[in-house]
Amino acid sequence: MSRTEPEQIAPAKTSWHSRSVGSRLQHGIFYLLIHLGGRRAAYFLLYFVIAYYALLRPDLRRKGEPYLRRRFPEASSGALFRHGCRLLLDFGKVLVDRAVVGILGPERMAVRLHGREDLLGLLAEGKGLILIGAHVGCWQAAMSALGFLSTPVSLLMQREDGDIDRHYFEHAGRECPYRIIDPRGFLGGSLEMLDVLKRGEVLSVMGDRLLGSDKNAVTVDFLGDPVRLPFSAYKLAATTGAPIAVLFSAKTGPASYELELAKVIRVPAVVGRSGAAFAPYVAEFAAALEKFTREHPCQFFNFFDMWQYDRTK
Amino acid sequence: MDIKEQLKKILVEELNLEDLTPEEITDDMALFGEGLGLDSLDAVELVVLVQKHFGVEIKDMEEGRPALQTVATLAAFIEKKRQG
Repeated sequence: MSRTEPEQIAPAKTSWHSRSVGSRLQHGIFYLLIHLGGRRAAYFLLYFVIAYYALLRPDLRRKGEPYLRRRFPEASSGALFRHGCRLLLDFGKVLVDRAVVGILGPERMAVRLHGREDLLGLLAEGKGLILIGAHVGCWQAAMSALGFLSTPVSLLMQREDGDIDRHYFEHAGRECPYRIIDPRGFLGGSLEMLDVLKRGEVLSVMGDRLLGSDKNAVTVDFLGDPVRLPFSAYKLAATTGAPIAVLFSAKTGPASYELELAKVIRVPAVVGRSGAAFAPYVAEFAAALEKFTREHPCQFFNFFDMWQYDRTK
Repeated sequence: MDIKEQLKKILVEELNLEDLTPEEITDDMALFGEGLGLDSLDAVELVVLVQKHFGVEIKDMEEGRPALQTVATLAAFIEKKRQG
């Protein structure tokens, strides 16, 4: 049988991975410092580590360049170098903050939420709620601020072999406070995701990286050039009537974050299997993410070339 | 029209399987992957369509996994649920 396919575009040559940088020992040293001296001690070491990566590991520093060149198109090579260092440093701080929350407790990090009443209103519609985030700020610290929803939260999350980074709850030996849906499971976890929404609960996904087949992506503009972003969550929203809340977290101070409801996206029932029907809604997410990068340019942590894919196929 | 024939019609018409007729779908054709070639997003839609057209809910993965193999397995699941 044949199926109407959207424009055939091959997967990106440079795909992302979530595997950690640094060895288990290196991560362990940071965790020990946090135990002994708190966040400040870990930040102190972090500056030296970042200096090492910035000066002696240009391959890692340059992973942020596809984004930085588009975010700062007029930047000189010197300015790009500084932005790259800043990006690495801010990312390092976020990883430390995540560990601080896990090791010393969530009370060590102040999280201010903008949009609390709106989120409660969306949930009260009774069709479940889809939270779409991105690799910005510290989503784990931010998720700890969502307890007021008083509703189970399920995360679509793929963990790779060799991933050393611990999630914050793992530091304290606690059970995961969320239900994890593995996209490598039966039918990509889609039945489980549907179940979550049918029960009126919360499903959290990331909207800025593709998990699995490129067939589940559409092309939208981001920072002036086309990228492929996943549309599965929008399809789920269209099928179930669940509203989508775009949530971004941003580090606002040494021990503080803000979590903002950036946009609410409503996807009507869409006829057809083509992902192109969802492009306008994915574009709304991309626009919200672009606005975030204007406000917090060094807190967007996709260290791969989102814009690289084979357009000739 | 029996359940299998209804399902085949729903698959073609409501999942927009172009270039395929209900008659070309065999009872034992795999719904996902090789066979009919549906994907995970189609699964979501299919679950909703089954509820809409047959009043039968596929509650969770435990029910979904065996039911969503072929037209025949799905039809058998629907029939069993209807008989209560």
